Amino acid sequence: MTAEHSAATYGEVVERDVVIVGGGPAGLSAAARLASAGLAVTILDEQPELGGQYYRRPAPAVARQWGDHRPEGGRLIAQVRAAGAECRTGHLVWGVEDDGRTLLASDDAEHPVRLRARYLVLATGAFERVFPFPGWQLPGVTTPGFAQHLAASDHTTVGDRVVLAGSGPFLLPVACSLIELGVSVAGIAEAGRPYRPSLRALGTLGHPARLRELASYAARLARARVPIWQETVVLRADGRDRVSSVTLAAAARPARPVRTVEVDALCVGYGFRPQTDLARMLGCQVRVDVASGDAVPVTGAAGRASRADVYVVGEAAGIGGVHAAKARGLAAAHDILTREGRSAVPVSEARRMMSARRRLARFTALTDSLYPGPAALLATLAPALPADTVVCRCEAVRAEEIRTTAAGSADGDLNATKAWTRAGMGPCQGRECGFAVAGLVRSVMPGRGVGDGESRVEIFPSRLPVRPVPLATLLELAGPESQKGDA
Amino acid sequence: MTTAQGRTGRRAGPGRAPQTEIVVDGDSVQAVDGISLAAVLVGERRWSLRRNPVGGDLRGPFCGMGVCFECEVTVDGRPGVRACITKIYAGMRVETATEGEAPHDR
Repeated sequence: MTAEHSAATYGEVVERDVVIVGGGPAGLSAAARLASAGLAVTILDEQPELGGQYYRRPAPAVARQWGDHRPEGGRLIAQVRAAGAECRTGHLVWGVEDDGRTLLASDDAEHPVRLRARYLVLATGAFERVFPFPGWQLPGVTTPGFAQHLAASDHTTVGDRVVLAGSGPFLLPVACSLIELGVSVAGIAEAGRPYRPSLRALGTLGHPARLRELASYAARLARARVPIWQETVVLRADGRDRVSSVTLAAAARPARPVRTVEVDALCVGYGFRPQTDLARMLGCQVRVDVASGDAVPVTGAAGRASRADVYVVGEAAGIGGVHAAKARGLAAAHDILTREGRSAVPVSEARRMMSARRRLARFTALTDSLYPGPAALLATLAPALPADTVVCRCEAVRAEEIRTTAAGSADGDLNATKAWTRAGMGPCQGRECGFAVAGLVRSVMPGRGVGDGESRVEIFPSRLPVRPVPLATLLELAGPESQKGDA
Repeated sequence: MTTAQGRTGRRAGPGRAPQTEIVVDGDSVQAVDGISLAAVLVGERRWSLRRNPVGGDLRGPFCGMGVCFECEVTVDGRPGVRACITKIYAGMRVETATEGEAPHDR
């Protein structure tokens, strides 16, 4: 039996019109539209329920007792199911076969599944942008997103006395969720200075609803007397086996302490980064976004990637928020339907969609301009990072080792630095430390940086598997030959 | 006493959400039906779930969305289960890996 045969035999091959990876707002919007038009659609998600991060479903017992924080997510999921889309939850898509189009996944029982489709819609979302500081690996230090999930989906508090830090609008709703559960939010440290009277003036540019949302969070925080320390960053976290205090510094002088606060949880995040590993593995072109330093897939108006059969939608195509994510998912669906000759989208609907997306893009640009750009922030924070800070959590690689290697044997090359130090080679594959490692490399070799050209993407390359896969899955995929060990 | 129940829904309205019992490192733990395992553990203020394989220091949940792998525990004998994307069910047996060598560099 040849290797190809065994691979075809072991591991179900699912053939569909459209396979959508990611069951968040973008993937769900695309799935609902495509399935209701009669296409054979499969939507996969790693989590046990659809919804992604934004529409993460509360446990039914939580929803009954305390309510559903985002019922529109539940309605969208119901719509997708009713339209007949095949929903595969608990499925981790971890790679692509050599043919460049068959997706490799493992199901909720860790059995291999292979999927092929005429159109692939990647709605893989985003993950939080974090930046290390001494003590960030202590238990009790988390992302704001974790605190939010605990509060909204599980009705559980991350701590009794909490400081939120980092940058971006997301810190405000998280603080509000915590207050609602009775948590004492000792303060919010924001690296920029976005909150000032001129916010109101900026806000009248055609996005009153979104800014009202931000303003209502701010009002709730003011009522609860939560201090917002602007232009402030985390200097370090301390504690024995668990965080017990956080020390803050002025963003302009990140090495000089200004305040120490006792906490039992500390949540730090700097917004979100697009999750593009699968797009890159499929050979989709990416470009560097100069403001964030992130790789963003090159896409056309409807999310079509550099490969005609692949669409990248939602936050994976660039951070834009839930409304933009849904609009992008829908635009991709319409493009596919038009190519299939299934339904010409009415001109009025297309126009409405285009103008909605332009409006959303303007809002994103406006919000972005309020907060410090991640690349600029990185240039301030990276040089100030103390030498013995653990930067790569997985492999326990410290700042000094990264700087020395980058300036020495790696000669300013990010991937050589990774190879020499092992920073970014652990199970998270550099998702947590990648932003910081890139910043450290750049800080000691300033000649090399983001924006040197489209080909210079300053992030770790996508590798197979994109997530650790159980050995049993791989063995089963390879067939009985490999299990005997003599293939 | 700190229990998951005490940390969840302390300020909730009347009534009581249905509970499920799981076993964590041999201790019986009550928590609201169907919530995430990470929520049960953090609700109990059991933050340390594993030791870092390189430095040996204690680690706990960080990202909450399956990215960082810091919340890996053993569930019903299956190692490497991410507590943050796993829902609890009755009788679930959870083992954390916090025993062993203490960090040498702290």
